[in-house]
Amino acid sequence: MSEAVELRRDPSHGYLGGVCAGFASRAGIDPILIRIGFIVAVAIGGVGIPLYALGWVLIPAEGPEKPAVQRLLTRSDTWLVAAGMGCLVAAGLLLLRAWDVWFVSDQILWPFVIAATGGALIWRQSQSAPERVAERAKLPRHTVNRAAAGAALVVGGALIFLYVNDALAPARDVVLPVLVMLVALTIILAPWWIRMVRGLADERAARIRSQERAEVAAHLHDSVLQTLALVQKRADDPREVAALARRQERELRAWLNNTRPLGEATLAGALEAAAAEVEADHHVPIDVVTVGDGPLDEPGAALVAAAREALVNASKFAGPEPISLYAEMADGRAEVFVRDRGPGFDVSAVPQDRRGVRDSIVGRMERHGGRATVHSTPGQGTEVELVMEP
Amino acid sequence: MRRGRVDRTLVVAGLATIALGTLLLLDRLGSLDLRFEYAVPAVLAAIGIVLITAGLS
Repeated sequence: MSEAVELRRDPSHGYLGGVCAGFASRAGIDPILIRIGFIVAVAIGGVGIPLYALGWVLIPAEGPEKPAVQRLLTRSDTWLVAAGMGCLVAAGLLLLRAWDVWFVSDQILWPFVIAATGGALIWRQSQSAPERVAERAKLPRHTVNRAAAGAALVVGGALIFLYVNDALAPARDVVLPVLVMLVALTIILAPWWIRMVRGLADERAARIRSQERAEVAAHLHDSVLQTLALVQKRADDPREVAALARRQERELRAWLNNTRPLGEATLAGALEAAAAEVEADHHVPIDVVTVGDGPLDEPGAALVAAAREALVNASKFAGPEPISLYAEMADGRAEVFVRDRGPGFDVSAVPQDRRGVRDSIVGRMERHGGRATVHSTPGQGTEVELVMEP
Repeated sequence: MRRGRVDRTLVVAGLATIALGTLLLLDRLGSLDLRFEYAVPAVLAAIGIVLITAGLS
Protein backbone atom coordinates (compact mmCIF):
# COMPACT_ATOMS: atom_id res chain seq x y z
CA MET A 1 0.00 0.00 0.00
CA SER A 2 1.52 3.29 -1.03
CA GLU A 3 1.00 6.42 0.99
CA ALA A 4 1.40 9.96 -0.35
CA VAL A 5 4.39 11.66 1.30
CA GLU A 6 3.63 15.21 2.36
CA LEU A 7 6.13 17.82 1.16
CA ARG A 8 8.24 18.94 4.11
CA ARG A 9 11.63 20.54 4.48
CA ASP A 10 14.35 18.33 5.90
CA PRO A 11 16.85 20.61 7.67
CA SER A 12 18.66 17.65 9.29
CA HIS A 13 19.77 16.43 5.83
CA GLY A 14 20.14 19.83 4.18
CA TYR A 15 22.82 22.50 4.01
CA LEU A 16 20.58 25.54 4.40
CA GLY A 17 16.87 25.10 5.09
CA GLY A 18 16.50 21.53 3.80
CA VAL A 19 14.27 22.57 0.87
CA CYS A 20 16.17 20.47 -1.72
CA ALA A 21 16.30 17.51 0.66
CA GLY A 22 12.55 17.84 1.25
CA PHE A 23 11.78 17.87 -2.49
CA ALA A 24 14.10 14.89 -3.03
CA SER A 25 12.39 12.96 -0.25
CA ARG A 26 8.98 13.80 -1.72
CA ALA A 27 10.07 12.71 -5.23
CA GLY A 28 11.99 9.71 -3.95
CA ILE A 29 15.26 10.68 -5.65
CA ASP A 30 18.78 11.57 -4.53
CA PRO A 31 18.96 15.14 -3.11
CA ILE A 32 22.10 15.82 -5.17
CA LEU A 33 19.96 15.87 -8.33
CA ILE A 34 17.71 18.58 -6.93
CA ARG A 35 20.75 20.53 -5.74
CA ILE A 36 22.31 20.40 -9.20
CA GLY A 37 19.04 21.77 -10.60
CA PHE A 38 19.08 24.52 -7.99
CA ILE A 39 22.67 25.49 -8.82
CA VAL A 40 21.80 25.58 -12.54
CA ALA A 41 18.77 27.79 -11.77
CA VAL A 42 21.02 30.14 -9.80
CA ALA A 43 23.60 30.21 -12.59
CA ILE A 44 21.14 31.09 -15.36
CA GLY A 45 19.81 34.27 -13.84
CA GLY A 46 19.50 33.69 -10.13
CA VAL A 47 15.86 32.59 -10.20
CA GLY A 48 16.75 29.70 -7.89
CA ILE A 49 17.50 32.01 -4.96
CA PRO A 50 14.05 33.61 -4.59
CA LEU A 51 12.43 30.24 -5.25
CA TYR A 52 14.53 28.64 -2.51
CA ALA A 53 13.67 31.48 -0.12
CA LEU A 54 9.99 31.07 -0.97
CA GLY A 55 10.18 27.32 -0.31
CA TRP A 56 12.00 27.93 2.97
CA VAL A 57 9.29 30.30 4.13
CA LEU A 58 6.23 28.43 2.90
CA ILE A 59 7.12 24.74 3.34
CA PRO A 60 6.95 23.44 6.91
CA ALA A 61 9.92 21.55 8.32
CA GLU A 62 9.80 17.93 9.49
CA GLY A 63 7.89 17.47 12.72
CA PRO A 64 5.01 19.43 14.14
CA GLU A 65 6.52 22.79 13.17
CA LYS A 66 4.24 25.02 11.08
CA PRO A 67 5.41 27.00 8.02
CA ALA A 68 7.24 30.22 8.80
CA VAL A 69 4.44 32.35 7.33
CA GLN A 70 1.85 30.66 9.54
CA ARG A 71 4.09 31.05 12.59
CA LEU A 72 4.58 34.71 11.80
CA LEU A 73 0.86 35.33 11.58
CA THR A 74 0.23 33.78 14.98
CA ARG A 75 3.27 34.92 16.96
CA SER A 76 2.93 37.64 19.54
CA ASP A 77 6.30 39.21 18.57
CA THR A 78 5.56 39.40 14.86
CA TRP A 79 5.98 43.16 15.08
CA LEU A 80 9.74 42.56 15.36
CA VAL A 81 9.77 40.68 12.08
CA ALA A 82 7.42 43.19 10.49
CA ALA A 83 9.67 46.07 11.60
CA GLY A 84 12.69 44.22 10.26
CA MET A 85 10.98 43.61 6.94
CA GLY A 86 10.02 47.28 6.86
CA CYS A 87 13.65 48.30 7.41
CA LEU A 88 14.81 45.98 4.64
CA VAL A 89 12.17 47.28 2.24
CA ALA A 90 13.06 50.87 3.09
CA ALA A 91 16.76 50.09 2.56
CA GLY A 92 15.95 48.54 -0.83
CA LEU A 93 13.87 51.54 -1.86
CA LEU A 94 16.58 54.01 -0.82
CA LEU A 95 19.18 51.98 -2.68
CA LEU A 96 17.03 51.98 -5.82
CA ARG A 97 16.66 55.72 -5.42
CA ALA A 98 20.44 56.15 -5.09
CA TRP A 99 20.94 54.09 -8.26
CA ASP A 100 18.36 56.21 -10.11
CA VAL A 101 16.23 53.16 -10.69
CA TRP A 102 13.35 55.08 -9.22
CA PHE A 103 10.30 53.76 -10.93
CA VAL A 104 7.69 55.33 -8.66
CA SER A 105 7.26 58.98 -7.87
CA ASP A 106 7.89 60.17 -4.29
CA GLN A 107 4.42 61.67 -4.31
CA ILE A 108 2.88 58.23 -4.62
CA LEU A 109 5.37 55.96 -2.89
CA TRP A 110 5.73 57.49 0.58
CA PRO A 111 1.97 57.98 1.20
CA PHE A 112 1.56 54.40 0.05
CA VAL A 113 4.25 53.23 2.50
CA ILE A 114 2.54 55.07 5.38
CA ALA A 115 -0.89 53.68 4.47
CA ALA A 116 0.53 50.17 4.04
CA THR A 117 2.14 50.37 7.49
CA GLY A 118 -1.18 51.39 9.02
CA GLY A 119 -3.02 48.69 7.10
CA ALA A 120 -0.50 46.08 8.28
CA LEU A 121 -0.97 47.21 11.89
CA ILE A 122 -4.76 46.89 11.62
CA TRP A 123 -4.64 43.55 9.85
CA ARG A 124 -2.18 42.15 12.35
CA GLN A 125 -4.32 43.36 15.23
CA SER A 126 -7.49 41.88 13.81
CA GLN A 127 -5.95 38.51 12.95
CA SER A 128 -4.18 38.03 16.27
CA ALA A 129 -7.22 37.20 18.36
CA PRO A 130 -9.90 35.54 16.24
CA GLU A 131 -10.87 33.30 19.15
CA ARG A 132 -11.78 36.27 21.31
CA VAL A 133 -14.67 37.45 19.16
CA ALA A 134 -17.05 37.10 22.06
CA GLU A 135 -14.80 39.31 24.22
CA ARG A 136 -14.61 42.11 21.67
CA ALA A 137 -16.17 44.55 24.10
CA LYS A 138 -13.35 43.92 26.57
CA LEU A 139 -10.37 44.44 24.24
CA PRO A 140 -7.30 45.68 26.13
CA ARG A 141 -6.31 49.31 25.75
CA HIS A 142 -3.08 48.64 23.85
CA THR A 143 -5.03 46.66 21.26
CA VAL A 144 -7.40 49.57 20.69
CA ASN A 145 -4.45 51.99 20.60
CA ARG A 146 -2.66 49.93 17.96
CA ALA A 147 -5.79 49.68 15.84
CA ALA A 148 -6.36 53.43 16.20
CA ALA A 149 -2.74 54.14 15.24
CA GLY A 150 -3.12 51.91 12.21
CA ALA A 151 -6.33 53.66 11.20
CA ALA A 152 -4.66 57.06 11.66
CA LEU A 153 -1.74 55.99 9.48
CA VAL A 154 -4.04 54.74 6.75
CA VAL A 155 -6.12 57.92 6.77
CA GLY A 156 -2.98 60.08 7.06
CA GLY A 157 -1.36 58.30 4.14
CA ALA A 158 -4.50 58.73 2.09
CA LEU A 159 -4.68 62.45 2.96
CA ILE A 160 -1.00 63.01 2.14
CA PHE A 161 -1.52 61.25 -1.13
CA LEU A 162 -4.48 63.46 -1.93
CA TYR A 163 -2.61 66.59 -0.88
CA VAL A 164 0.59 66.00 -2.84
CA ASN A 165 -1.46 65.08 -5.86
CA ASP A 166 -3.42 68.31 -5.48
CA ALA A 167 -6.62 66.31 -5.25
CA LEU A 168 -7.94 68.22 -2.25
CA ALA A 169 -8.43 71.40 -4.20
CA PRO A 170 -12.14 72.15 -4.14
CA ALA A 171 -12.45 72.59 -7.86
CA ARG A 172 -10.72 69.36 -8.66
CA ASP A 173 -12.32 66.14 -9.48
CA VAL A 174 -13.98 64.65 -6.37
CA VAL A 175 -13.95 61.12 -7.64
CA LEU A 176 -10.32 60.41 -6.80
CA PRO A 177 -10.51 61.40 -3.12
CA VAL A 178 -13.74 59.50 -2.68
CA LEU A 179 -12.19 56.44 -4.25
CA VAL A 180 -9.07 56.68 -2.11
CA MET A 181 -11.12 57.09 1.05
CA LEU A 182 -13.23 54.11 0.06
CA VAL A 183 -10.09 52.04 -0.40
CA ALA A 184 -8.80 53.20 2.99
CA LEU A 185 -12.13 52.33 4.64
CA THR A 186 -12.07 48.94 2.97
CA ILE A 187 -8.59 48.29 4.33
CA ILE A 188 -9.78 49.29 7.81
CA LEU A 189 -13.11 47.46 7.83
CA ALA A 190 -12.29 44.32 5.85
CA PRO A 191 -10.46 42.57 8.72
CA TRP A 192 -13.41 43.11 11.06
CA TRP A 193 -15.80 41.89 8.43
CA ILE A 194 -13.66 38.79 7.86
CA ARG A 195 -13.44 38.19 11.59
CA MET A 196 -17.19 38.57 11.96
CA VAL A 197 -17.79 36.03 9.18
CA ARG A 198 -15.31 33.67 10.82
CA GLY A 199 -17.00 34.19 14.19
CA LEU A 200 -20.39 33.35 12.71
CA ALA A 201 -18.97 30.22 11.08
CA ASP A 202 -17.40 29.16 14.39
CA GLU A 203 -20.65 29.77 16.22
CA ARG A 204 -22.56 27.75 13.64
CA ALA A 205 -20.06 24.90 13.89
CA ALA A 206 -20.35 24.93 17.69
CA ARG A 207 -24.15 24.84 17.46
CA ILE A 208 -24.03 21.92 15.03
CA ARG A 209 -21.61 20.05 17.32
CA SER A 210 -23.91 20.65 20.27
CA GLN A 211 -26.94 19.40 18.34
CA GLU A 212 -25.09 16.32 17.15
CA ARG A 213 -23.97 15.57 20.67
CA ALA A 214 -27.56 15.90 21.90
CA GLU A 215 -28.69 13.54 19.12
CA VAL A 216 -26.08 10.95 20.05
CA ALA A 217 -26.95 11.27 23.75
CA ALA A 218 -30.66 10.86 23.01
CA HIS A 219 -30.03 7.85 20.79
CA LEU A 220 -27.80 6.19 23.38
CA HIS A 221 -30.43 6.80 26.03
CA ASP A 222 -33.19 5.31 23.90
CA SER A 223 -31.23 2.29 22.74
CA VAL A 224 -28.30 1.19 24.87
CA LEU A 225 -29.43 2.50 28.24
CA GLN A 226 -32.96 1.15 27.79
CA THR A 227 -31.62 -2.25 26.75
CA LEU A 228 -29.25 -2.31 29.72
CA ALA A 229 -32.19 -1.57 32.00
CA LEU A 230 -34.11 -4.47 30.43
CA VAL A 231 -31.08 -6.74 30.80
CA GLN A 232 -30.96 -5.96 34.51
CA LYS A 233 -34.69 -6.59 34.81
CA ARG A 234 -34.47 -9.96 33.01
CA ALA A 235 -31.13 -11.10 34.39
CA ASP A 236 -32.68 -14.44 35.44
CA ASP A 237 -33.50 -15.36 31.81
CA PRO A 238 -30.24 -15.87 29.84
CA ARG A 239 -31.98 -16.50 26.51
CA GLU A 240 -33.97 -13.29 26.78
CA VAL A 241 -30.85 -11.37 27.73
CA ALA A 242 -28.96 -12.84 24.76
CA ALA A 243 -31.83 -11.94 22.42
CA LEU A 244 -31.88 -8.37 23.76
CA ALA A 245 -28.12 -8.06 23.28
CA ARG A 246 -28.32 -9.37 19.69
CA ARG A 247 -31.11 -6.99 18.78
CA GLN A 248 -29.30 -4.06 20.36
CA GLU A 249 -26.15 -4.98 18.45
CA ARG A 250 -28.07 -5.08 15.16
CA GLU A 251 -29.72 -1.78 15.91
CA LEU A 252 -26.43 -0.10 16.83
CA ARG A 253 -24.72 -1.41 13.70
CA ALA A 254 -27.59 -0.16 11.54
CA TRP A 255 -27.35 3.23 13.21
CA LEU A 256 -23.57 3.43 12.82
CA ASN A 257 -23.79 2.40 9.16
CA ASN A 258 -26.78 4.68 8.58
CA THR A 259 -28.87 1.84 7.18
CA ARG A 260 -32.53 1.15 7.81
CA PRO A 261 -34.35 -2.20 7.62
CA LEU A 262 -36.65 -2.71 4.67
CA GLY A 263 -40.32 -2.10 5.47
CA GLU A 264 -39.53 0.97 7.59
CA ALA A 265 -39.21 3.32 4.66
CA THR A 266 -42.39 5.20 5.54
CA LEU A 267 -43.51 7.01 8.65
CA ALA A 268 -46.44 4.68 9.37
CA GLY A 269 -44.29 1.58 8.81
CA ALA A 270 -41.56 2.89 11.12
CA LEU A 271 -44.11 3.73 13.84
CA GLU A 272 -45.63 0.25 13.64
CA ALA A 273 -42.18 -1.36 13.73
CA ALA A 274 -41.20 0.73 16.75
CA ALA A 275 -44.44 -0.22 18.53
CA ALA A 276 -43.87 -3.92 17.78
CA GLU A 277 -40.31 -3.66 19.09
CA VAL A 278 -41.37 -2.01 22.35
CA GLU A 279 -44.19 -4.52 22.77
CA ALA A 280 -41.73 -7.41 22.34
CA ASP A 281 -39.28 -5.92 24.79
CA HIS A 282 -41.66 -4.93 27.54
CA HIS A 283 -44.51 -7.40 27.00
CA VAL A 284 -47.12 -4.65 27.18
CA PRO A 285 -49.80 -4.61 24.44
CA ILE A 286 -49.81 -1.56 22.17
CA ASP A 287 -52.76 -0.66 19.96
CA VAL A 288 -51.54 1.11 16.85
CA VAL A 289 -53.80 3.16 14.59
CA THR A 290 -52.29 5.12 11.72
CA VAL A 291 -54.12 7.39 9.30
CA GLY A 292 -52.31 8.39 6.13
CA ASP A 293 -48.59 8.07 5.61
CA GLY A 294 -45.52 10.07 4.74
CA PRO A 295 -41.84 9.71 3.87
CA LEU A 296 -39.43 8.79 6.60
CA ASP A 297 -37.09 11.75 6.31
CA GLU A 298 -34.91 13.14 9.09
CA PRO A 299 -37.69 14.94 10.99
CA GLY A 300 -39.88 11.86 10.49
CA ALA A 301 -37.19 9.64 11.99
CA ALA A 302 -36.94 12.01 14.96
CA LEU A 303 -40.73 11.80 15.38
CA VAL A 304 -40.57 7.99 15.37
CA ALA A 305 -37.71 8.00 17.89
CA ALA A 306 -39.64 10.35 20.18
CA ALA A 307 -42.80 8.22 19.87
CA ARG A 308 -40.76 5.11 20.64
CA GLU A 309 -39.38 6.72 23.78
CA ALA A 310 -42.91 7.69 24.84
CA LEU A 311 -44.04 4.08 24.29
CA VAL A 312 -41.10 2.76 26.33
CA ASN A 313 -41.93 5.13 29.18
CA ALA A 314 -45.58 4.13 29.06
CA SER A 315 -44.65 0.42 29.02
CA LYS A 316 -42.35 0.80 31.99
CA PHE A 317 -44.61 2.90 34.16
CA ALA A 318 -48.16 2.20 32.97
CA GLY A 319 -48.17 -1.51 32.18
CA PRO A 320 -49.79 -3.97 31.96
CA GLU A 321 -52.78 -1.92 30.70
CA PRO A 322 -52.75 -1.56 26.87
CA ILE A 323 -51.11 1.53 25.43
CA SER A 324 -52.62 3.44 22.53
CA LEU A 325 -50.62 4.90 19.68
CA TYR A 326 -52.57 7.06 17.26
CA ALA A 327 -50.84 8.71 14.31
CA GLU A 328 -52.25 10.94 11.61
CA MET A 329 -50.16 12.03 8.63
CA ALA A 330 -51.36 14.35 5.87
CA ASP A 331 -49.87 17.11 3.68
CA GLY A 332 -46.46 16.78 5.32
CA ARG A 333 -47.90 17.33 8.81
CA ALA A 334 -47.67 14.46 11.27
CA GLU A 335 -49.34 14.11 14.65
CA VAL A 336 -48.74 11.23 17.03
CA PHE A 337 -50.51 10.61 20.34
CA VAL A 338 -49.29 8.04 22.85
CA ARG A 339 -51.81 7.42 25.63
CA ASP A 340 -51.71 5.16 28.65
CA ARG A 341 -53.97 4.58 31.61
CA GLY A 342 -51.18 4.39 34.14
CA PRO A 343 -50.68 6.29 37.39
CA GLY A 344 -49.54 9.48 35.59
CA PHE A 345 -46.96 11.87 36.98
CA ASP A 346 -46.24 15.49 37.68
CA VAL A 347 -44.35 16.78 34.63
CA SER A 348 -42.79 19.66 36.54
CA ALA A 349 -41.44 17.29 39.19
CA VAL A 350 -39.25 15.30 36.77
CA PRO A 351 -35.61 15.53 38.01
CA GLN A 352 -33.13 17.45 35.84
CA ASP A 353 -30.88 14.41 35.32
CA ARG A 354 -33.65 12.34 33.72
CA ARG A 355 -33.16 12.49 29.97
CA GLY A 356 -36.19 10.50 28.84
CA VAL A 357 -38.87 13.17 28.50
CA ARG A 358 -36.66 16.25 28.40
CA ASP A 359 -34.05 15.20 25.82
CA SER A 360 -35.35 12.17 23.99
CA ILE A 361 -38.86 13.50 23.46
CA VAL A 362 -39.20 17.27 23.89
CA GLY A 363 -35.58 18.21 23.02
CA ARG A 364 -35.46 15.89 20.04
CA MET A 365 -38.72 17.20 18.56
CA GLU A 366 -37.64 20.82 19.02
CA ARG A 367 -34.24 20.19 17.39
CA HIS A 368 -36.03 18.97 14.29
CA GLY A 369 -38.59 21.73 14.08
CA GLY A 370 -41.47 20.00 15.83
CA ARG A 371 -42.99 20.16 19.29
CA ALA A 372 -43.92 17.75 22.03
CA THR A 373 -46.40 18.21 24.84
CA VAL A 374 -46.87 15.89 27.79
CA HIS A 375 -50.31 15.94 29.40
CA SER A 376 -50.31 14.00 32.63
CA THR A 377 -52.15 14.16 35.91
CA PRO A 378 -51.28 11.86 38.80
CA GLY A 379 -53.81 9.02 38.86
CA GLN A 380 -55.33 9.75 35.44
CA GLY A 381 -52.84 8.47 32.89
CA THR A 382 -50.56 10.25 30.47
CA GLU A 383 -50.83 11.51 26.91
CA VAL A 384 -47.77 12.51 24.88
CA GLU A 385 -48.61 14.67 21.87
CA LEU A 386 -46.00 14.92 19.12
CA VAL A 387 -46.46 17.29 16.18
CA MET A 388 -44.14 17.73 13.21
CA GLU A 389 -45.09 20.61 10.93
CA PRO A 390 -44.12 20.57 7.21
CA MET B 1 25.73 17.02 16.36
CA ARG B 2 24.33 20.09 18.09
CA ARG B 3 26.11 21.71 20.98
CA GLY B 4 24.66 24.10 23.54
CA ARG B 5 22.10 26.67 22.41
CA VAL B 6 23.50 29.95 21.12
CA ASP B 7 21.67 33.24 21.04
CA ARG B 8 21.17 33.69 17.32
CA THR B 9 20.08 37.30 17.72
CA LEU B 10 23.35 38.23 19.39
CA VAL B 11 25.37 36.36 16.76
CA VAL B 12 23.56 38.10 13.90
CA ALA B 13 23.81 41.48 15.63
CA GLY B 14 27.55 40.93 16.03
CA LEU B 15 27.95 39.94 12.40
CA ALA B 16 25.95 42.97 11.26
CA THR B 17 28.11 45.26 13.41
CA ILE B 18 31.26 43.67 11.98
CA ALA B 19 29.94 44.17 8.43
CA LEU B 20 29.12 47.82 9.10
CA GLY B 21 32.48 48.34 10.74
CA THR B 22 34.21 46.77 7.76
CA LEU B 23 32.36 49.12 5.41
CA LEU B 24 33.40 52.14 7.47
CA LEU B 25 36.97 50.88 7.64
CA LEU B 26 37.14 50.39 3.88
CA ASP B 27 35.72 53.88 3.45
CA ARG B 28 38.36 55.26 5.79
CA LEU B 29 41.13 53.42 3.95
CA GLY B 30 39.90 54.81 0.67
CA SER B 31 39.06 51.42 -0.79
CA LEU B 32 35.38 52.30 -0.85
CA ASP B 33 33.45 55.50 -1.32
CA LEU B 34 30.68 55.12 1.25
CA ARG B 35 28.36 57.99 0.54
CA PHE B 36 25.38 58.93 2.70
CA GLU B 37 22.80 57.51 0.31
CA TYR B 38 24.54 54.11 0.51
CA ALA B 39 25.31 54.22 4.25
CA VAL B 40 21.69 54.73 5.27
CA PRO B 41 20.36 51.67 3.40
CA ALA B 42 23.25 49.60 4.81
CA VAL B 43 22.41 50.61 8.38
CA LEU B 44 18.69 50.03 7.76
CA ALA B 45 19.42 46.60 6.28
CA ALA B 46 21.56 45.67 9.28
CA ILE B 47 18.82 46.75 11.69
CA GLY B 48 16.22 44.87 9.66
CA ILE B 49 18.21 41.64 9.67
CA VAL B 50 18.74 41.83 13.44
CA LEU B 51 15.05 42.53 14.04
CA ILE B 52 13.95 39.63 11.84
CA THR B 53 16.35 37.29 13.59
CA ALA B 54 15.07 38.44 16.98
CA GLY B 55 11.49 37.93 15.86
CA LEU B 56 12.13 34.44 14.54
CA SER B 57 14.28 33.27 17.47
